Amino acid sequence: MAGAALRLSGVTKRFGGLVAVDGVTIDFAGGKLNAIIGPNGAGKTTLFNLITGEIPADSGRIEFAGKDIARLKPHQIVRRGVSRTLQIKSVFGGLSVIDNIRAAVLTNRGIKAPFRLVSSFKSVSARADELIEEVGLTGHRETIASALSYGDVALLEMALALAAEPKLLLLDEPICGMGPQETERAVAMIRRIAKRIDVILIEHDMEVVFDIADFIMVMAQGGILATGTAADIASNLAVQEAYLGSPEDELAC
Amino acid sequence: MTAARARLICLIVFAAALLAVPHVLPAFGATFWVNIVAEILIWSLLAASVNLLLGFTGLLSFGQALYFGFGMYGVALSINNWDVGFLPALLIGIAAASAMALATGIFAVRLTWHYFAIITVVFSLIFYFAAMSTKWLTGGDDGMSFSPPPVLEIGDFSLTLADTTTQYYVILAVVAVAFAVKALIVNSPLGLSFKAVRENHRRAALIGINVFRTRLVAFVIAGALAGTSGALFAFFGRYASASYMFYHVSGEAVVWAVVGGSGALLGPLFGAGSLIIFREIASNFWENYLLAVGAITILVVMFAPRGIAGAWNDMLQALTTRSGHASDTVADTAPAVRNNALPEER
Repeated sequence: MAGAALRLSGVTKRFGGLVAVDGVTIDFAGGKLNAIIGPNGAGKTTLFNLITGEIPADSGRIEFAGKDIARLKPHQIVRRGVSRTLQIKSVFGGLSVIDNIRAAVLTNRGIKAPFRLVSSFKSVSARADELIEEVGLTGHRETIASALSYGDVALLEMALALAAEPKLLLLDEPICGMGPQETERAVAMIRRIAKRIDVILIEHDMEVVFDIADFIMVMAQGGILATGTAADIASNLAVQEAYLGSPEDELAC
Repeated sequence: MTAARARLICLIVFAAALLAVPHVLPAFGATFWVNIVAEILIWSLLAASVNLLLGFTGLLSFGQALYFGFGMYGVALSINNWDVGFLPALLIGIAAASAMALATGIFAVRLTWHYFAIITVVFSLIFYFAAMSTKWLTGGDDGMSFSPPPVLEIGDFSLTLADTTTQYYVILAVVAVAFAVKALIVNSPLGLSFKAVRENHRRAALIGINVFRTRLVAFVIAGALAGTSGALFAFFGRYASASYMFYHVSGEAVVWAVVGGSGALLGPLFGAGSLIIFREIASNFWENYLLAVGAITILVVMFAPRGIAGAWNDMLQALTTRSGHASDTVADTAPAVRNNALPEER
């Protein structure tokens, strides 16, 4: 996992008069757990949306594995190996847990086969079961996703993101809304995943971020305010000011 | 007994009943009803085309009559102009409908929900008026008749549609094959991608599904189903008419699909069946029976949103499950009306 996991140069996005992401240039190193923090409205999620192609960048390059992906469609970017979770957890609510993941595994393997039953693809089901086990949803294999608890939905979404066999995983506030026990479990899982997949994490919980991130980028008003290790960021005056300026941030997510 | 086994037994009984129709109904002096059942089978395929889009892909089309009409004219024109046999004419009808679905779908599936519904209506109206005004080709409102070729001819032996019983079995066979193919598709990897798009198109794209292409494939398959229905109806009536391309026909298919249960495989058959039987009985003594159809539809949408088939499945489930651990594994039948077309959050 040597070299950059993701290289952004001059990435800009405007919504009308508002510059949501303002010329962001940064290299996220491979083999590390990277985090993005910053006050609400700093442009963190918009940056993720630009990386995954859900909204087009106005200008700039987004380089993944040495190629510019800035003009690709979301489904093409996933196939290149960039997968993500969303701030508002997003799964296939009407399908069972196993079918949620089967859909993702089948898509990843490019299987369409209109005249074969899904259940006849044994290795797909086996991989799906592996993923269910990895995120700890084994007891819920046949549960309809919309009947899962919030924390379990987040885990299912994680499994969906992993089913795409990504090289880079973008997590948008993965532990937001979780209870203390769920948080502990999720953080342990993120740590485990980060050992084999490059991770970029958006998170509001400073304690968690300072605990697990190898590298932190602080965003404010669409731009980069600071970068560095947890120790660098904690002692950075500009960062303290940005956060003191908006105390409600610790509550929101 | 499990719910799955109960369903299988019901299916076998139902199939046996359909097979027995041409022998049993005339014995009760109801020969006329053999053709009614045949008509129900044909129309259920048009409802099935709506069902595939609405129930499995999350797209509400009010324009399926267009592909029904192309199926009809594919049969009538190919027999009149090229003198082709039964099977080629049937296949040409289905191919014409599928090609039209591909041509219009490329534009339509870029939109969703009400925008999609509107563009499908617009396409069907454009071609309705085009067919009405090209009388030299289509016969317009009067339609064009043809004499159907024999279904099968080996030496002296021949099967023709002139015989009501033969005609019934030919229709039943084609409809059964169409439903079986549809059942296979919705339970295949392709079908699972339809459901993924129905459930959450943003997440579908984020696991790597090409949402546009998936919707287009579903739209073309739905067009083929509607085309099969139209082709059979042409053989059944021995003619094709532009009047069947009107949006009234599309709307009726939506009502059948919703009342029957839009996420269930046999829902279209139940919906078309119950409402056509209702029409045949009620229209004899009440010309405004459509008011009652409207009321039934509203009641179903409000109180049994998964339609007749959904209510039936729930009943089987309740009867076969001991109280306590019931509803966890109900098949993934979709509610008729979903909210996934609401403007999404950024």
